[in-house]
Amino acid sequence: MALVEINNVRKTFGELEVLKGVTIEVEKGEIVTIIGRSGSGKSTLLRCINGLEQIDSGEIRIGEQVVHAKSTDLRKLRQHVGIVFQQFNLFPHMSVERNITLAPILAGRVQKGAAARELALKVLTQVGLAEKIDAYPEQLSGGQQQRVAIARCLAMSPDLMLFDEVTSALDPELVGEVLKVMEDLARQGMTMILVTHEMGFARNVASKIVFMHAGKVHEQGPPAELFANPATPELQNFISSTR
Amino acid sequence: MQLNFNQLWRYQDEFLHGIQMTLTLTLIATVFGLAIGLAGASLSRSRFAPVRIAIATYVELIRNTPALIQIFLIFFVLPYAGLRFPPFYAAAVALSIYMGAYAVEIFRSGLASIPKSQIEAGQCLGLSKFQVFRHVILPPALRNIYPSLTSQIILVLLGSSLASQVSAEELFHTAAFVESRTFRSFEVYAVVCAIYFVMVLSLRLLFSGFERIAFRWPTRR
Repeated sequence: MALVEINNVRKTFGELEVLKGVTIEVEKGEIVTIIGRSGSGKSTLLRCINGLEQIDSGEIRIGEQVVHAKSTDLRKLRQHVGIVFQQFNLFPHMSVERNITLAPILAGRVQKGAAARELALKVLTQVGLAEKIDAYPEQLSGGQQQRVAIARCLAMSPDLMLFDEVTSALDPELVGEVLKVMEDLARQGMTMILVTHEMGFARNVASKIVFMHAGKVHEQGPPAELFANPATPELQNFISSTR
Repeated sequence: MQLNFNQLWRYQDEFLHGIQMTLTLTLIATVFGLAIGLAGASLSRSRFAPVRIAIATYVELIRNTPALIQIFLIFFVLPYAGLRFPPFYAAAVALSIYMGAYAVEIFRSGLASIPKSQIEAGQCLGLSKFQVFRHVILPPALRNIYPSLTSQIILVLLGSSLASQVSAEELFHTAAFVESRTFRSFEVYAVVCAIYFVMVLSLRLLFSGFERIAFRWPTRR
């Protein structure tokens, strides 16, 4: 059974239908990259997956849980589904350590104090920022903040991680360090769904590419196939416009 | 004009009592006012329109009428409701209600100053609504409103002199009393003015000291 099943999901904002019946499956350990033009519904879809947005019809299932079911405890669900945002969204009033350990401590996963600090160090080491454990977000560069945001997700040992255009707000020279962290995660077998404009990353790291167009999955498949032989003119256009 | 402060020394105890009462009034009004403010601001984000309207009505009624009249109304109206308070407590109630209305607005602006993305980040980490409020929203909101909140506390301290009008025995009441005994009007009010000045100045120093300890995280450049 797939880890994530997105089945015929529809979503409107007022008059505007953003998702017009989207169906995607994500297996455990897969890296699914959603590409497409601005306004094609990529980010909205991602926000639906962890229940940040309601859906009008269809169903999203993660593991055993149906995300938008009344009986679903979104808090519990989100403790297993991490999301990294375009704007990092670190808490400015907390040190890096506190940013990372707040949720695990409140969820009762780790004791406050030495154990929590150890957990912070562990995930910071994974993103190569162990020495910044006592810094505040404002003292870090954008790339470092984003890596801390990834570490903050990792501290909850998620089953699934969502990445919403995580390099779009970064200066070009800082994009690489964040992508490298994501590649490491991919290699370690983390299941990831990401919305990105980084075609190089999509091409080299993704196990599956989903091309969204006008609120629908227009084409999907392994990157090698999709990039070499786009079946539709929309994808052909999109690929040539990003080159 | 011949100034004579000597006579005032005899009333040291009365002045001290007045200072103590003024500070107590301010403290009571601050504690209850802040509680009202925080509760009111949270409720003003309620989904239920009647709740929001009730809060808005309270805030506008208090902010658009003189504090002096509010004190009178509380003092003279409460007995009809079977609540017979000594003047000091009536004044404390009135000033708490007064402080509360301003505090609601201040807290409201503070809560609104936290971007939605911060709240979402908290939710996405599996925090409960209360945990998001307590850990994600409140600390930076408090920092943002700290200057206006402390100014408001000082305004309440200065405004507490109005309580003398229902004969609550605070500092200004003491002044009127000493004046009536000594007839040294200018001296009495000069001294009282200086006392208020020192009180407020010390309070401001205290507040800015606390600010430095409580809000240490670096801010956006």
